Amino acid sequence: MKKANKLLKEIVVLIFALLFLSPIYIVFANSFKDRGELYESVLALPSSYSFQYYLQAMERMNFISAFGNSLVVTAVSIFFLVILSSMTAWMLARTNNKLSKIIFMSFIATMLIPFQTIMMPLIQFMDQIMRLTNIPMLNTHGGLIFMHIGFNSALSIFLYHGFITTIPKSLEEAATIDGCSKFMLFWKIVLPMLKPITVTVIILNVIQIWNDFLLPSLVLTSPGLRTIPLTTFYFFGQFTIQWNLAMAGLTLTLIPIVIFYLFAQKHIIKGIGEGAIK
Amino acid sequence: MKAVKRLLKGIALCSIVFAVSACGSEESQNGSDDSSDSADKITIFQDKVEISEQFEKLAAEYTAETGVEVEVWGTTGSDYFQQLQVRLNSNQGPTIFSIQQFTELERIHSYVYDMSNESYIQHIADGMALEYEGNVYGVPYGLEGFGLVYNKDLVSPEDMTDLDSFVATLERLDQEGVNPISLASNSFFIIGHLSNYPFSLQENNYEFVQQLNNGEVSMAETEEFLEFGRFMEAIREFAPNPLEVSYDQQIGDFATGSTAIIHQGNWAAPMFDDYDVDFEIGMMPFPIMSNDSLAVGVASSWAINNDKDDAEIQAANDFLEWMFTSETGHRYIVEEFEFIPALTNIEANDLDPLSQAVLDASNNGKVIPWSHIYYPADSVRGVLLPPTEEFFMDDDITGDQLIEKLDAAWQSR
Amino acid sequence: MKKKNRVVYSIFTGPLVTIFSIVVLIPFIVGIYYSFFEWDGIRTNPMTFVGLDNYLRLISDQQFINSAILTIKFTFIAVISVNLLGLGFALLVTSKLKMVNPARTMFFMPNLIGGLILGYIWQFIFSDAFRLIGENTGFQAIFRNWLLDSSLALYAMVIVFSWQMAGYMMVIYIAGIQGIPGETLEAAKIDGASAWQRLKNITLPLLMPSFTICLFLTLSFGFKIYDVNLALTEGGPAGSTELFALHIYNEIFGRYNYGYGQAKAVVFFLMVAAVTLTQVYITKKREVEM
Repeated sequence: MKKANKLLKEIVVLIFALLFLSPIYIVFANSFKDRGELYESVLALPSSYSFQYYLQAMERMNFISAFGNSLVVTAVSIFFLVILSSMTAWMLARTNNKLSKIIFMSFIATMLIPFQTIMMPLIQFMDQIMRLTNIPMLNTHGGLIFMHIGFNSALSIFLYHGFITTIPKSLEEAATIDGCSKFMLFWKIVLPMLKPITVTVIILNVIQIWNDFLLPSLVLTSPGLRTIPLTTFYFFGQFTIQWNLAMAGLTLTLIPIVIFYLFAQKHIIKGIGEGAIK
Repeated sequence: MKAVKRLLKGIALCSIVFAVSACGSEESQNGSDDSSDSADKITIFQDKVEISEQFEKLAAEYTAETGVEVEVWGTTGSDYFQQLQVRLNSNQGPTIFSIQQFTELERIHSYVYDMSNESYIQHIADGMALEYEGNVYGVPYGLEGFGLVYNKDLVSPEDMTDLDSFVATLERLDQEGVNPISLASNSFFIIGHLSNYPFSLQENNYEFVQQLNNGEVSMAETEEFLEFGRFMEAIREFAPNPLEVSYDQQIGDFATGSTAIIHQGNWAAPMFDDYDVDFEIGMMPFPIMSNDSLAVGVASSWAINNDKDDAEIQAANDFLEWMFTSETGHRYIVEEFEFIPALTNIEANDLDPLSQAVLDASNNGKVIPWSHIYYPADSVRGVLLPPTEEFFMDDDITGDQLIEKLDAAWQSR
Repeated sequence: MKKKNRVVYSIFTGPLVTIFSIVVLIPFIVGIYYSFFEWDGIRTNPMTFVGLDNYLRLISDQQFINSAILTIKFTFIAVISVNLLGLGFALLVTSKLKMVNPARTMFFMPNLIGGLILGYIWQFIFSDAFRLIGENTGFQAIFRNWLLDSSLALYAMVIVFSWQMAGYMMVIYIAGIQGIPGETLEAAKIDGASAWQRLKNITLPLLMPSFTICLFLTLSFGFKIYDVNLALTEGGPAGSTELFALHIYNEIFGRYNYGYGQAKAVVFFLMVAAVTLTQVYITKKREVEM
């Protein structure tokens, strides 16, 4: 009886998940159809599974180079984001004064600003910085990474801050008494404790940065610097979209992230173990 | 707390300094004053995504021939102008870019180089240059035209020469069991292009738009618009709800023979390649007020960034000169971009049927100009679309009421 | 603060605060500055200082008010549905079932699809798939094209937004659930607490920090919604779903009213900030009580 019950639950979960995922089927199926076949039926399985549109999309997107660019931009941005935002969030959470509150609140508040309203002043400001300091902020990966860090810091700080307030101070206090410096304390004790939330921060930021179109499209102009989403522009005309190539391009963009997620979720789930909720 | 105040002050000060310096002036644009000869690199940003790949090849050929590096940027069709604006504003503009609308030129004309003295503009076909206050600011990509695209097995142009015969033909097609006509839901397809007709039939369409903007005339008091309303009523009666028809769907319905007539332009021709079309396709005029002309105009024009230094402008002129006069340039324009040339020194050949119809109309003088290029910013989507959607969703709204609503929307813009 | 502490404090927070100020804060403040001007957004064109005129104009701008009301309505419904789904998924995929691993990935994937493709998929679902279901089940009153109905199009956006965001929130809820000590639940189980009692009395209260985060994130994503709006309805039909970010975007880049658009952005920011920061304040307070 209990077994049957469990099997039923398994099936329910699966159906629910499939239902939820079904729109993605449309992406996948239609990446194999030309306009004529697409018109006949969007829902039907493709009549043939030739990967020609994938190859075509890869070639047009200059996929290998774009993949390298995306990887560099995403990895470096994430690295700095994790380090800088965990440091900042910890300090803000553990220093209870007015300044901390103001800094924290300004981070949070800016999450409410639609990007479209600040993009023009942003790019103008970057141009000003370039001209005053000669630091190449625009049309470089470095500049893009810098901006990704800025835009994604609020979410990261918010996540870290929320997590840090739930862990007891006692361990840190004990270490301080033992003569541990703040830096040692952070590296040796705090950061390891933050691991679960760090995985979350990484996952959420990877999605955001990997898929972002608007910011990189404003910052990067040279074709050689393009990240993957930027290279899909070829398929999106003003009125017409080459659906098969666009869908193939999207699938190509997603595969690395899904692989990454599969890998990362092992870390999320570690430790749930015995006492899980049924 | 001191630190708080200092921090806030610092940030505020930075912002103000930046804001004032960013908008107040445009000094020091010109990096190098090396105006003696032309630069060895130019950048190009253009809006027609469909030709991106071919254009990059053209650029590579130019580089191979002259050694001048040409960097071609790109973005999606819907993002283009906003990105151009952001880039021009932050000194990051391209050397050559494209302009779609007259109203866009009006707005950014301080960034656009006056080409009046360049030799290549002599080739531009009559009335097709992008002009502002009598000077030439842009060279057309090519001609584009729209009208009623029809299935020659089912309809012939003689069938539909005015409102009555238009309605009669739709009725006949309906009885024959085909879907008589369809529009697509995109704002330009459902109203933007169609709305050209009553404007373009005016004596001076540009002036009429201005007068309408100033409230000196109204659509409801203009005969052409009232008739336009009646055409829209007929379309609503015989077409599937356009809000439900995507562009792809519209083309597919037509290509497979289930729709007899669609309102489209020659840009749609490449989409038919994916279907086995077993009938001949033609394009005929929209017979409002017995109109017998196709609406032909220029969708995009090449322009040069005036903000660049002389050497770069020179290099841009060289590139355009080459594209408009060399054999390679011509080949690309006609064969690779598949444009209907708007330059008199280029022979068109081997055009698709829709482009051929546009070219024929143009050669025979059977054309009316485009008017939507003069509409105030965002009019098609922001002003004309909502009343039109209401009209198609609610059968009780009459054509006259549609025109009144369009009037009201235009005035409250 | 002691001097040494202050130095340490600056080293920890300084770099990110600086980057953040340059990238986000200063451009935002400049945006506020622009809101006092009448300007078409082209640098070489005249900028006229108009003081508070743009703000005064707002009061009688019916489109702005409509858009603000719609956005609030949308956000309110979306926050509830996203969080219910996200929490539900998180509870499901932290259970002991075998299906948990694939399901976790499947719930997460919709989050990866944005932009024009998203619009395409869902337009198709609402127009064709819904009609098909309606015709086959007889529930045509429900299963018809929501996007064509001025009153339903907003709910269509809620569905798509929930579909997109639920997996995102699930990730955060999972992190929270993971933080709940297994022994507590085990002990409760031994004491005879039912699954529902354990959920209500242990899991949910201990998830308060996750709620703070997820509620705030959905609020902020909801208020800022742009992609889904543009791809799915473009503000239609007949202008009935032009939510705020799209509205501002159209004002700034469509109608070329840069200053006025910025004024709208500022006012809306203040309204939204008041709501969401209150929410953060309230939920944070409840966390402390736990």
